[in-house]
Amino acid sequence: MVLIVTIVAVLAAVLLANGTKETSMQLLQWKGTGTTKNLQEVILGRCYNYITTVNPELRDKDCQKIWETMQKAFIYKNPCNITTEDYQLLLDLASHPIPCNKSLFWSKTNDLVHRYTKTNHSFLTLEDTLLGYMADGVSWCGNPSSPGINYESCPKWSECESNPTSVYWKMASKMFAEAACGVVQVMLNGSIEAGAFRSNSIFGSVEIFNLDPDKVSAVQIWLMQNIGGPASESCTGHSITRLKSILEERNLRVSCEDNYRPVQLLQCASDPDHADCRLCTNSVQ
Amino acid sequence: MMKSFFLSLLVGLLFSKDYVKPTEIDGKKKWKGEGTTPNLESIVIGRCYEYIRIVNPSIGEKNCTEIWEAFKKAFINKDPCNILPSDYELFINLALHTIPPNKSLFWENNHLLVTSYSDRTRRYMPLCDTLIGSFGDFLNWCGQANDTGFNYDSCPNTEECENNAVESFWKIASITYAKQSSGVIYVMLNGSAIGGAYPVKGFFADYEVPNFQKDRISRIEIWVMDDIGGPDLDSCGRGSVQILEERLKTMGYDITCIDNYKSVLLLKCLDYLNHSDCSIVSSAPSTQRGLVSPHRGGSWSRLIYTIFVAFVFEICFNPLN
Repeated sequence: MVLIVTIVAVLAAVLLANGTKETSMQLLQWKGTGTTKNLQEVILGRCYNYITTVNPELRDKDCQKIWETMQKAFIYKNPCNITTEDYQLLLDLASHPIPCNKSLFWSKTNDLVHRYTKTNHSFLTLEDTLLGYMADGVSWCGNPSSPGINYESCPKWSECESNPTSVYWKMASKMFAEAACGVVQVMLNGSIEAGAFRSNSIFGSVEIFNLDPDKVSAVQIWLMQNIGGPASESCTGHSITRLKSILEERNLRVSCEDNYRPVQLLQCASDPDHADCRLCTNSVQ
Repeated sequence: MMKSFFLSLLVGLLFSKDYVKPTEIDGKKKWKGEGTTPNLESIVIGRCYEYIRIVNPSIGEKNCTEIWEAFKKAFINKDPCNILPSDYELFINLALHTIPPNKSLFWENNHLLVTSYSDRTRRYMPLCDTLIGSFGDFLNWCGQANDTGFNYDSCPNTEECENNAVESFWKIASITYAKQSSGVIYVMLNGSAIGGAYPVKGFFADYEVPNFQKDRISRIEIWVMDDIGGPDLDSCGRGSVQILEERLKTMGYDITCIDNYKSVLLLKCLDYLNHSDCSIVSSAPSTQRGLVSPHRGGSWSRLIYTIFVAFVFEICFNPLN
């Protein structure tokens, strides 16, 4: 009797140990932030919010299906093996036409460009389209074993390029560029040392190569410097010259404006007492 | 006998001003206001999680499903003209969180401007940027008696009955928001609004000001923003703004008032680029920021300075670039 009990106890202990070892071994560890908690509720809520209040023309989109397709793209998969094909169905369900002359691309101007489009609805960034709106500021990745989603960590781009969020943004950016028509705009940062235009940015590696010269009539660059500088680069700078030649080679007309005024006003709203932000009239404080 | 019957009926109708019966269409009650926002539950729960996970995670863990249920309980399966602010008490208690001092921003007649300016809690935290506010902002809802669902067709507006689900929500949300505000209090008013920048009967006047916590407020700063190119109907020290200033001073608060507070004005200017009120000095070329080649100096920089000054004058007096 004692022997049987001992054997059972030992077996149970081994199984338990194996079980925990198995789980901890199978939850892959990465260096980046894990999946956003309550991802499903956030994505679904954003989808419905978008089609109901932001862009009611899309009210017939099926948000539940969109979420399920998005989840299918990465759940239970190794997060270093994601391809654009995984997101194809999602792309088909969630993409929508962009009006001409409204596409606004950006690189290293995340805060400023989005503050601008939230105030001025004449322009749309990728993050103002359904695909971008749902995923902005959120992270996700799968895991081969249960529960299929990794909330602890996700791979950084430096660990593997084919991770769920990087592939998503690459795919969405390509779609956004392909859909652009008329005059398109791009907001670049003239206050960073590494240069306003970089070939390894999504703008420099994906978007400019997916603009369709038959649809896009011109590209307008807005080169924004921080209020009070530094003025690292302007429209005559090296990287801008390089960008211009790439675009011209693709048969796209290019123009550039230093510190496009409306956006500069927005910058001044955060720093109104700066010497560069003085108003000409005396009727205001 | 018939005469007295009809007379009493008439009298009865005349006195039933508090409850306006909606018109009936196909046996279904039809109110004058918009119906419940479609997909309300998904939107609201999504906003709740978005708030605690992304917008303001400092408020800690909240059970969004529980909060949603408490929100619904306030008005579901009830007469939509008999919803009181206190019906939302459980919801308020579950969704409550602290508001950092000096971040409260009250307002009247400039909802969109406040939303843009506050930048989702980054500059300020108006009511719409709190968890409670995010449940209702730009949304609409109501229920009906003897029915566990929402009314998606129509909802009573304030003229039809004041004690409707949305009105009562904002009343208690405003009261709560005012009670939690501390430090420097900011108020944004619209100096071009018909009827006055400070509506003497309104959410701010009736539910917020009376609930300020005097011992936790250091001072109150009022910004009176006129529409760009719009009429300057009210301003600091005048009209309804003066009424507000007097009221607050009598209550013992230290008040400052600023007409067309520059930071907000610059934001408003985005839609009025060529207006004379919106020309800024820095639209001059970047020479003023030191992009002049380091190899040149002396007379060259003097020349550039002269060109710059001339350019600035040109911008100031001729805003059309």
